[in-house]
Amino acid sequence: MIEMHELTKYFGSLCAVDHVNLSVGNEIFGLLGPNGAGKSTTVMILTTLLKPSSGSASICGYDVVKDAKKVRGTISYVPQDMAVDIKLTGHENVMLYAKLYGVPDRNTRVDDVLELLGLTGRAGDLVRTYSGGMRRRLELAQALVHEPEVLFLDEPTLGLDVAARKKIWEHISALRERGMTIFMTTHYMEEADEYCDRVAIIDRGRIVVVDSPTNLKLGLGKDASLNDVFLENVKTGEDQAGFDAFRFRTMLRRRS
Amino acid sequence: MKQILYYFERDMRKWSRSRINVVASLAMPAAWLVLVGLTLPIRFTDNYLEFITPSILVMTMLFSSLQGGALMIFDKVLGFLNKFLAMPAPRESILLGKILFISTRGLLQATVILLIAGLLGVRIHSPLNIALVYLTLFLFGVLFSAIAITLALHISDHDGYAAVNSMISMPLFFASNALMPYDKMPEWLRMVAMVNPLSHTIDSIRVLFAGGVPVEGMVGLAVAAGVMVCVGTVQFRRTGV
Repeated sequence: MIEMHELTKYFGSLCAVDHVNLSVGNEIFGLLGPNGAGKSTTVMILTTLLKPSSGSASICGYDVVKDAKKVRGTISYVPQDMAVDIKLTGHENVMLYAKLYGVPDRNTRVDDVLELLGLTGRAGDLVRTYSGGMRRRLELAQALVHEPEVLFLDEPTLGLDVAARKKIWEHISALRERGMTIFMTTHYMEEADEYCDRVAIIDRGRIVVVDSPTNLKLGLGKDASLNDVFLENVKTGEDQAGFDAFRFRTMLRRRS
Repeated sequence: MKQILYYFERDMRKWSRSRINVVASLAMPAAWLVLVGLTLPIRFTDNYLEFITPSILVMTMLFSSLQGGALMIFDKVLGFLNKFLAMPAPRESILLGKILFISTRGLLQATVILLIAGLLGVRIHSPLNIALVYLTLFLFGVLFSAIAITLALHISDHDGYAAVNSMISMPLFFASNALMPYDKMPEWLRMVAMVNPLSHTIDSIRVLFAGGVPVEGMVGLAVAAGVMVCVGTVQFRRTGV
């Protein structure tokens, strides 16, 4: 479904995505990595928002640069920002997307996706009155209104409480069962472990490992968690930022 | 391109839902009309209100259009633009929908000014001229909302844009023939006012109020608006995310 070949993106001299080769099939695929590792940049190239510096990527056979418009018709993208119009109702928010996508028989379709995400009862209310979890589900409803083949989710559960996160994941799993490919990024290892079919860990623009969470954990030994796998493979972060526990403690002691 | 209308509809609904926005955007030009139009002791015309009404109309469009640039910045920083750009709808329709909304919002404000001016005794004699006043104001709105959005996309920061907006809006207004005719201005101001697009638009509207049809002024405005929409489109394509 998604093919990346030597995909590279430079911002000036900074290499955000470094010769990435990945092949994603019909599955829930999680892209994990520390902040600034290149997760969002990769997603933005795949969703045609950024052009790669070199290499290529395709979605369902369509090249993300040459057939950008076809790609856009095949996918849906939910960024991390929670961009829903709070002065519009839930129904109006979804209807806007149905119209923009040119969905046939859109009244029925909008009601269907609102029902699917459990928002029917509140569809007529202004989104201003929605909780964070409801807003996220509303974004999913917008994304699903044109029945995409591939769904891109950037940090779909960021900032949500436990119950809301569980609910989002139940919806994502249900979509997978209906045959949708889901490509997502997350910081929550437990969630990736439980729900992703395969994960890739990206660090400083490079893919370090790709496999199922089970295999990755087995590779490290009994009782290993995905957190351990992550820490084992990622070199960026605190040691690179020069974090020195000893000096930090000394500093704290001096302050008190 | 139906998508332009969908984006237009989104902004219109959002705007009409916040009453404070609607009231505030009408209060300022109304205050100008009454507090300046009715009070300044001016000798160059018998009816200063009639002289200044076209200026207030154009000023309303100018301020409303320039403020409109902020809408694009909000869509960009809040993540809406990314979602819209990842959709198969033509990307330009985002920009054109915005321009259409900002210009239409300006015309609604202008309508209130026209009504108040009518109550105070200002008259336009033929319905055709009323329609042409609207057309002229619309073209002016398109011109300046395209300028505003181009600037906004270039600056991409709300505070920075607000500063630029206040820096250009007032000088543009005062360095035009809005408040006094060319022959009453100091020489240096006249030079500036003669090249100010605001003056040309105000001139056209004054001609329309007096019963004439300023073909040259309107064609000039239409060309300028067309060019600016093209420049805005190029900038929009380049900015992307």
